[in-house]
Amino acid sequence: MIQSSKRSPLTWLMHITVLFLVVIWTVPTAGLFISSIRDKDQLSVSGWWTALSVSEQRMVSRTTIPKEPVQENGLYVLKGNVFEEGKSGLITRFGASSLKPEAFTSGTKTELKKGLTLIVLENGDYVMTSPKAFKGRGKRIFYTAEIPPRFTLDNYREVLSAEGLGKSFINSLTVTIPATIIPILVAAFAAYALAWMKFPGRAILIATVVGLLVVPLQMSLIPLLKSYSFIGSIFGVGSKGYIGIWLAHTGFGLPLAIYLLRNYIASLPREIIESARVDGATDFDIFRKIILPLSFPALASFAIFQFLWVWNDLLIAMVFLGNSADELVLTGQLRELLGSRGGNWEILTASAFITIIIPLCVFFGLQRFLVRGLLTGSVK
Amino acid sequence: MNKSILSTAVAVALSASALTVSSTHAADLIFQPGDDARFSWSSYDALKSIDLKGEKVSVFGPWLGSEKEHFDNVIAYFEAATGAEVEYAGSDSFEQQIVIDAQAGSAPNVSIFPQPGLAADLAAKGFVAALNDEAKQGVVDDYAAGQSWVDLATFKDDNGAENFYGVFYRADLKSLVWYSPDNFDDAGYDVPESMEELKALTQQIVEDGGTPWCIGLGSGAATGWPATDWVEDLMLRTQPASVYDQWVSNDIPFDDPRVVAAIEEFGWFARNDQYVDGGAASVSSTDFRDSPKGLFTSPAKCYLHRQASFVPAFFPEGTELGVDADFFYFPSYESKSLGNPVLGGGTLVSITNDSKGARSFIDFIRSPIAHELWMAQTGFISAHLKANPELYSSEAAKKQGEILRYATTFRFDASDLMPGKIGSGAFWTGMIDYTGGKDATDVAQSIQKSWDAIK
Amino acid sequence: MGQLASALVIVIFGVLGCAAYFYGSNFLLDKLFPSKNRSYDVVARNLRITSYIRPWLFLGPALLALGFYLVYPVVESFRLSFFGRTGEEFVGLSNYVWLFNSDEFYQAFKNNMLWLVVVPTAATFFGLIIAVMTDRIWWGNIAKSLIFMPMAISFIGASVIWKFIYDFRSGDDPQIGLLNAVVLLFGGEPQQWITLDFWNNIFLMIILIWIQTGFAMVILSAALRGIPDETIEAAVLDGANGFQIFYKIMVPQIWGTIAVVWTTITILVLKVFDVVLAMTNGQWGTQVLANQMFDWMFRGGGDFGRGAVVAIIIMVLVVPIMVWNIRRANAEMEGR
Repeated sequence: MIQSSKRSPLTWLMHITVLFLVVIWTVPTAGLFISSIRDKDQLSVSGWWTALSVSEQRMVSRTTIPKEPVQENGLYVLKGNVFEEGKSGLITRFGASSLKPEAFTSGTKTELKKGLTLIVLENGDYVMTSPKAFKGRGKRIFYTAEIPPRFTLDNYREVLSAEGLGKSFINSLTVTIPATIIPILVAAFAAYALAWMKFPGRAILIATVVGLLVVPLQMSLIPLLKSYSFIGSIFGVGSKGYIGIWLAHTGFGLPLAIYLLRNYIASLPREIIESARVDGATDFDIFRKIILPLSFPALASFAIFQFLWVWNDLLIAMVFLGNSADELVLTGQLRELLGSRGGNWEILTASAFITIIIPLCVFFGLQRFLVRGLLTGSVK
Repeated sequence: MNKSILSTAVAVALSASALTVSSTHAADLIFQPGDDARFSWSSYDALKSIDLKGEKVSVFGPWLGSEKEHFDNVIAYFEAATGAEVEYAGSDSFEQQIVIDAQAGSAPNVSIFPQPGLAADLAAKGFVAALNDEAKQGVVDDYAAGQSWVDLATFKDDNGAENFYGVFYRADLKSLVWYSPDNFDDAGYDVPESMEELKALTQQIVEDGGTPWCIGLGSGAATGWPATDWVEDLMLRTQPASVYDQWVSNDIPFDDPRVVAAIEEFGWFARNDQYVDGGAASVSSTDFRDSPKGLFTSPAKCYLHRQASFVPAFFPEGTELGVDADFFYFPSYESKSLGNPVLGGGTLVSITNDSKGARSFIDFIRSPIAHELWMAQTGFISAHLKANPELYSSEAAKKQGEILRYATTFRFDASDLMPGKIGSGAFWTGMIDYTGGKDATDVAQSIQKSWDAIK
Repeated sequence: MGQLASALVIVIFGVLGCAAYFYGSNFLLDKLFPSKNRSYDVVARNLRITSYIRPWLFLGPALLALGFYLVYPVVESFRLSFFGRTGEEFVGLSNYVWLFNSDEFYQAFKNNMLWLVVVPTAATFFGLIIAVMTDRIWWGNIAKSLIFMPMAISFIGASVIWKFIYDFRSGDDPQIGLLNAVVLLFGGEPQQWITLDFWNNIFLMIILIWIQTGFAMVILSAALRGIPDETIEAAVLDGANGFQIFYKIMVPQIWGTIAVVWTTITILVLKVFDVVLAMTNGQWGTQVLANQMFDWMFRGGGDFGRGAVVAIIIMVLVVPIMVWNIRRANAEMEGR
């Protein structure tokens, strides 16, 4: 079916269109990634697409006053470098007042007020002289520097060590794995019953499951938490915990799981099941020996969806798991960072990328199952 | 399939363990008890008589990041003295989370409310435990203007009876304008002494080709609140405090001309493209944490920034208070003799899940040592009279502490006192709409309408 | 680490437990009503009984979970919508009256309708054309993976990504937001996209379209491959060109799947609130119903009555979709 239009202009158009769409779809994520490995000073002043070019930054540095005044040729002298340790760049212009931060070219000696002179060299070294001893707070030096592009993993280091993301990583996994597997099991049996067993009320049940697909889960939070505290108080445990959140994800994921799996299982060829029945197999045997192996792709594709959904969930974790640093999941942690470090792009980009890395791995690693699961929708 | 998922999970788990870095748990006492005589160690020693071994106290509040660290350091003393185990959790979405938890019966023992109005809402539903008369008397005696702090924490419970519900711990001073002394020097500006001078300075800066103000209202889910502080401050400067009180309690409607006038005063600053960095259109979406940074850029994007005492936390790294940045009192009108009113805020510490440990924790919080321990770190000002002001970590904080302690007219942040739907809802939205160009009267009317709808 | 290990142990126990339940209950059923080595009458009777009971054994856990986690909350919300803010005093229809007189509701409703029209349509449309085209080029699978990738990103992560794109810098500062940089490149004026009246809604929708297109693409691509090759070959022999094949053969063939995709995304849109919450929290005229419900339920002390009313409205809105879906499900059943 593919050969028909090969080498026609249409094919070229297709290549270009797809390429265009792919670029549009990937650029946002790419931007996030590139930003997250840029130096934090550059990240907030220039676009990530300029990451490879030299960026021009205007900055301020304050001279440090030495404890022992240094004198040369009858003048007090102050020497230093405007760059913080570990940074470097090429100074183009400098100034000594916020009103004229770019007054002079680097390397020119300039006279300031009260007999002061200042020279800033290209490499950032400065010399300031004064007829009187320096005292009080240091003078500000304004400079414009061309900073070479700098890539660093510092942002990740900072996020992983200081912000407790490592712990929430584990928490997220703890929530996600059981919350992915339990609903599959429960749903598979139910889906089989709804697809191939005859009993009164089946149509209504299917309708109900479809209906439940649309329940906005925000409204179930309070009734559920109330029930949880009630049940918790019977057993003398708190209402928040992993078991609660696993079951909650199971409950919320079930309608889609049953719906998807039922559609898939119902589309399996009738003859296989009929002939097994004729051979005297019970429903349980049929399910175990025929349905489960055959619907493996569908199970796998639901597992991926459920994994992504649970991993990316914020609301349910916020409600059913505590808020202490020990209990936060990744999305929760990211939300807290958005709140407390809203202005720090380097923290945000790095931690955002950490939260998406696992789902991306899972997705790219398992996508052949996903595709297969959905492709074999009707076993030909 | 399970097998493949499990093996992936194991692989993932292994890679995760490589990433794991032990989370920091600061439990060491940062000041050795008894060492520094300026601390009220007697109130720390008094704690030792309470035995709370094995008792757990959960505390939930809005503080995160460095503020959480400071508070954890304070808590460590309570734990060391009583043997209790205190777990503090902070959340950026405290306001919603506490409602969910209280309703569900899973509230923490102690909650730290950034807005007394929210505490009042929950108290009215019976979710907050009243404090005893001893605690109440303690606040009256120990706090500057103690009775007013008690009044601010007195609400109706679910039966309509009035009770005292909480202790104010960390105060914020709102009526401050931040600036860079160096930039003022360079440009030859003086700190204005009155609102008239401040307005003249604003115009002067524009004439000199600069931009006077940095204003940012963005704050994620709470976007808009910085504008409410502006309006409140201007309300106190244009009307007597009694009118302010009536406004808070909605005894005068929100669309009263006097309120509308205060909103328009704010508009004088914020709705003029020349007066605000980025122009009026950028005010509502600029993040409030980003906006002060404009004071320190080269060249400076703006000269003035009105914000509460906590804002230095968002200054660029290495900014030294008193050197790189300083503040002055948001001045009052010379032409109106209304004194020098001060607008402030504070966090209210209340019991949302009663226990012996929770009660003791509240007692700890209202003792001077709890205040001093944070004062000696950074970013804390206190109205506690027995807390030693010598312990403030900076001159700036000390100065703010004095403004708070000796204010002739002190008023609490109105939006924090109004019902949650207004103070952290309609008022915010209204201010965003106003800075976006809507008419002040229309905005005030719609806020009043929302208020009517919840009566 | 220990925590994760115990989670894995629990998973294994959970799986074994589930298996034990299904296996054990079925075993017990077969033991109680044996269908082998008995007289014909007994076997027939037992078979009838087991076939009555067994479906419920299979369905049991699922029904319990659905009932507790979804049905009960729905009923509870319906009840709460007639009660006051604490959920204790009965207030009759006054919550509904309030709702229909409230401007903020109409705004959220209007926006939601816009979301409902734009997002599913756009996502399905892009999904379909990408699916058709990627099936025909050699690097199609790579393209598909890349376009599906946003699906794997959380709403909150996506918000960070897109905040970076919509970022606005004032004055002469270089723009670090991609959109403004592009606008600048073409000589336009940088904008505050997030506060731009009406259009900001579209910008939020783009985020969801970006996420959901991959989903639509994967499902539709699967459906496209289900079209028998002969059908298309026949059309080619008849001289149909690419576009004709697309409109006249492919689209009609997979019409059912398109509808399913469209419905699924519609449902998701109705429930969407993460994107709005993280990007604007409903400010600047971008409120949607789900966020409004969250607002009334949990902000400012919470008002359950009004929160529940908004929830009911959301559910009423999906009823048509539900009915249509159920009809389709039933039609399928009859075709069996």
